[in-house]
Amino acid sequence: MHWKNLFPLLRKEFILEFRQRYAISGIVLYVFSMVFVVYIASIRVSPPVWNVLFWLIVLFASINAVVKSFVQESGARQLYYYQLADPVLLVLTKILYNTLLLLVLSTLAFGAYSLVAGNPVKDHLLFALVILLGSLGFSIAFTFIASIAAKANNSATLMAILSFPVILPILLTLVRLSSIALGLIQDTAYTRDIINLLAIDTILIALTFVLFPYIWKD
Amino acid sequence: MWWKALSIVLIIYTILAGMLVPLKSGIQRAEPAFAKAGEEVKFRFYGYNTFFQKATDAPIRVWLYYDDQFALAASDFKALNDTILEASFRFPQQLPERKASTSLNALIDHPVAGASLLPAAVYLSSDSLAQTDTVLANAWTANPVKQLHVQSGFSFPYQNVIYESIRNTYFHVPMWFVLLFLFTASVWYSIQYLRNPEPENDRRAAAFAETGLLFGALGLTTGMIWAKYTWGQPWSNDIKQLMTAVALLIYLAYFILRRSFDEYEKGARLAAVYNIFSFASLIPLLYIVPRMFASLHPGATGNPAFGSQDLDNTMRAVFYPAIIGWTLLGFWIAQLRIRYQRLYDKALGLE
Repeated sequence: MHWKNLFPLLRKEFILEFRQRYAISGIVLYVFSMVFVVYIASIRVSPPVWNVLFWLIVLFASINAVVKSFVQESGARQLYYYQLADPVLLVLTKILYNTLLLLVLSTLAFGAYSLVAGNPVKDHLLFALVILLGSLGFSIAFTFIASIAAKANNSATLMAILSFPVILPILLTLVRLSSIALGLIQDTAYTRDIINLLAIDTILIALTFVLFPYIWKD
Repeated sequence: MWWKALSIVLIIYTILAGMLVPLKSGIQRAEPAFAKAGEEVKFRFYGYNTFFQKATDAPIRVWLYYDDQFALAASDFKALNDTILEASFRFPQQLPERKASTSLNALIDHPVAGASLLPAAVYLSSDSLAQTDTVLANAWTANPVKQLHVQSGFSFPYQNVIYESIRNTYFHVPMWFVLLFLFTASVWYSIQYLRNPEPENDRRAAAFAETGLLFGALGLTTGMIWAKYTWGQPWSNDIKQLMTAVALLIYLAYFILRRSFDEYEKGARLAAVYNIFSFASLIPLLYIVPRMFASLHPGATGNPAFGSQDLDNTMRAVFYPAIIGWTLLGFWIAQLRIRYQRLYDKALGLE
């Protein structure tokens, strides 16, 4: 594997995003619209509901942000990358890029959501960590599923039905951790949940590395 | 061939033994459930599968006991019929321990049907906390629980709330074993397909997943029927029910994915990849997540396995053959499905 290719590939992702600014703007607008809809639909949000709704917003925003990962470039250009780069490196840059993207999106969602629905977070440091772990987990699972879904015609539907069951253990752990950060449940032994989450991430990323070459070659 | 015959034999054995073996005697409840220290109270014990009136060479004995050391034998008792026993107890002034109240377990020892126990049958309260050791020694320790009879013969344990539905153990629980075996086989053939893209490997992966889905649906249904009678409602949002529903969703998505491509090879390859990926995420689903939440299932909180204390030797004699029988049946169904699909593909000229 040629690690020196990592940065040019990562740079390519940023340039691509910059050139297609309407796509990222669309996702940001999607987040704001969703926050606003949630706010309109339930003006007084109690902390447990706040927690669940926040993660639903992040979940849907993440799916929509990641699904374009493999469809924004034409098949011819993908064939070109296939000849140049190692598939493992390629998917690694996609995961890294999507993690950053989701981190920005969830921070934006958090900002907008706390602006309209209040901010019940008690332990900000833990909550920031949860958002970071969430972005990482969502990015790994969704990037892999997006690469499968991109091969089919009805990729948006497939993306949802393939990823929801897979993301559930991550989502449940995240909701639990963030309830701790919100002070909804008293549990000081949350390091175990963090380790669980990292373990799931490790399994998923290892599988991605092994299985991605089979998706990539067409 | 032999294993198909074995599966039929084992399943017939499971159905016959699981349905026909009687339950042990048990006590359903005691009335009244409350008593005060220092009084003489007449209780009615309602039995299940009991033979209180059956003539025996040794007498029936009745206790209300606190622990191994402190027990109170009935001063007088009479069987009204085979399932109702009336017994009087003279409670001492003091409780066995320096407490205002305690719960006592009921124990009825029958020379033939064996001893049956009802935990926390009677709630005993006292007005005074005074306690003298001599009184205690006489009243609570005069008739200790000893020389209990064990029922001879083949019978399943009696458990309150569960009653006869304990037989569902041989139908509900093995479904999950079969499900796990079949999904493992499915993933194995998906891996084989990626290593060697033969249509045969894909057919097998799909057939095992389909059969696994069937057993998953059966496991969920038998579980919901059981839950209706023991937990009160078919769906309680129990974490294992949720995880199972999610596992079934994964395999339904797998079948949608297989059919989403025009080219057969592409669909088979991507479905194989998804099968491996989702199976690996199923393991945290089934083993990590249930440990984080309380569950209504036996095996206690935090333990997804079937607790060893929930099975006695009689049940093991039916339970283990049941697992083997259902597993072989599952593989038989999958094999038929593979052979059907092979003929179908051949007829369409896909191979």
